[in-house]
Amino acid sequence: MTKEERLKKRHRAEKRFRFYGLTSIFVALLFVVILVQNIFSKGSSAFKKTVITTEVFFDQELLEIQNGASQEEIMEADFYDIMIENLIKAYPAKDREQEDQLLKLFSGDAEIEIKKAFLNDNNLIGKTITLDLTASDDIDQLHKGNYPRDLPEERRRISDFQLVIYDYFVENKKISKNFNNYFFNNGDSRDPELAGIGGALVGSFYSILICLLLAFPVAVLASIYLEEFAPKNKITDFIEININNLAAVPSIVYGLLALQILLATIQLPRSTPLVAGITLALMTLPRIIIPCRASLKAVPPSIREGALAVGASKFQSVFHHVVPLALPGTLSGTIIGLAQALGETAPLILIGMVAFVVDIPSSPVDPSSSLPVQVYLWSESAERGFVEKTSATIMMLLTFLIVMNFVAVYLRQKFEKRWN
Amino acid sequence: MSNIKIKSKNLDVFYGDKQALFDVNLDLNEKEVTALIGPSGCGKSTFIRCINRMNDVIDICKVTGNIEMDGMDINDKNLDVVALREKVGMVFQKPNPFPKSIYDNISYGPKIHGKGETKSELDEIVENSLRKSALWEEVKDRLDEPGTSLSGGQQQRLCIARAISVNPEVILMDEPCSALDPIATAKIEELIDELKKTYTIVIVTHSMAQAVRVSQKTGFFHLGKLIEVGKTEKVFKNPDNKMTQDYITGRFG
Repeated sequence: MTKEERLKKRHRAEKRFRFYGLTSIFVALLFVVILVQNIFSKGSSAFKKTVITTEVFFDQELLEIQNGASQEEIMEADFYDIMIENLIKAYPAKDREQEDQLLKLFSGDAEIEIKKAFLNDNNLIGKTITLDLTASDDIDQLHKGNYPRDLPEERRRISDFQLVIYDYFVENKKISKNFNNYFFNNGDSRDPELAGIGGALVGSFYSILICLLLAFPVAVLASIYLEEFAPKNKITDFIEININNLAAVPSIVYGLLALQILLATIQLPRSTPLVAGITLALMTLPRIIIPCRASLKAVPPSIREGALAVGASKFQSVFHHVVPLALPGTLSGTIIGLAQALGETAPLILIGMVAFVVDIPSSPVDPSSSLPVQVYLWSESAERGFVEKTSATIMMLLTFLIVMNFVAVYLRQKFEKRWN
Repeated sequence: MSNIKIKSKNLDVFYGDKQALFDVNLDLNEKEVTALIGPSGCGKSTFIRCINRMNDVIDICKVTGNIEMDGMDINDKNLDVVALREKVGMVFQKPNPFPKSIYDNISYGPKIHGKGETKSELDEIVENSLRKSALWEEVKDRLDEPGTSLSGGQQQRLCIARAISVNPEVILMDEPCSALDPIATAKIEELIDELKKTYTIVIVTHSMAQAVRVSQKTGFFHLGKLIEVGKTEKVFKNPDNKMTQDYITGRFG
């Protein structure tokens, strides 16, 4: 081979490599775009809910309370009859059968929504107001265009008569889409139109908080001790190897551990953020220790020697000089570890967070769900309404993860100091 | 003849199984500059790191024999190394200022030793140390800037100021000019001349010319052994040992 040929060959090799690299990046981006597009197209409609504008008349005869009733009185009062009376007036129905079908266009919470309107203004007796009542899941999906209305009637959940009413509502502009506050405020529900991630959000928040409070101090102190103070011997090596191994243990194993120790032996309340937090802390611990030790190791020895040489004790050289320099790396490692914990599903399923929990937890010892488990739960439901809610929940989860990662990058860049 | 400040007797140092210093007997005179020369890896740095016990940082390092400062056994297991290093400052090969402000670099030592109780006392120590290291005029208006923003030569003088700030008796310098240009080197050498009025200085250097310029006493190390020691003039003009002769004339090393 001549010199020119060899040179050409080298240039060709470089070109080939650039081409492979670009192709890989393109393929990776394509997958990301497909994933995000898929989630957005399915999930974005969940942030809106369909409401039916209905006139509600508060008939004194049907209510056993007076104008100006106290909150407790209203809470105890029965608004069922008021609801029925008003809803069947939304469309002229001929018989009981048709009235039933008409009522099914509204969500199961119509009574509560009417009661809430009265709670806001307790002088409504004898008056008529216009309320936006949440529509049932079927109407919601129909209005969002997700429901195949051209199927034969016996294969539809919506009857022909209900379609007639729906068309009447559309014609008279009685049906519209509002911001879906239920999605953020409500807990889980069997009715898709009422189901929300409120409980899962709070549950995830408590779990991650407990995970942070437990894992961060332990991980940081363990890393500092191992990196700066521990004698270099077989025991330290053994611990180090095992921390690396623990970081690679499948998360479900931590779930099994928690099931046996936290639930069966210590008998902590199951399905709670407390247990979830402890489990996630166990799982996250090695994943925080590794980046912490790496950032301690990255502090040049000359800084330690400089401190020691002016007469700082070992403790002072570590805590005055090494730790502050390692802090940005430590913090971003912690946040990335927490982000992983936030997306963790398997161990939480094992400790019973898959339970169907309607109430929003008010403390870490209340049964609760969490965001990824909520995704898992809803993805198994057949109703159309849960499909969009699954994707919307994934969008929320991804948003939190992206925000956490940005915070990690920001902290690292803001506080990272350069040395020599 | 000046007083002997530091005295080493039968000093051996081991890194694991490897012996780095063999039976070193070397006396350092008070308020004098002693230069240690010799090829790389001959044990000069190891020797000066015995004086402030910096070898403690290395787990596998073991020091035997005797080394004394003013009659105090430096190698004593019960000796408080913090107190020792307050008396024996050190300047390293590569400037290693803390990634903090110039002020904090100097005030850190006095602070941890409880030397500057008040802000004004600290200010005074910082100014004095910077003046002694001939850096004050250059940095007096930017004491809040990070020490790492200075040039290499200034950083090294900052490190010298940091060593002076705790008012030590001995200053160890481990090739302090190897990372500096000739102008910065000249400044440091001038500084060393000035500092020797107050401090006992030990300097490790690869530059014969520097050893001649700054030191009164020179020790030549080779393969962990102290081959020859004596007045600098004598060692360079008329060495007793053939190996010293070969090294200083550049025949090996």
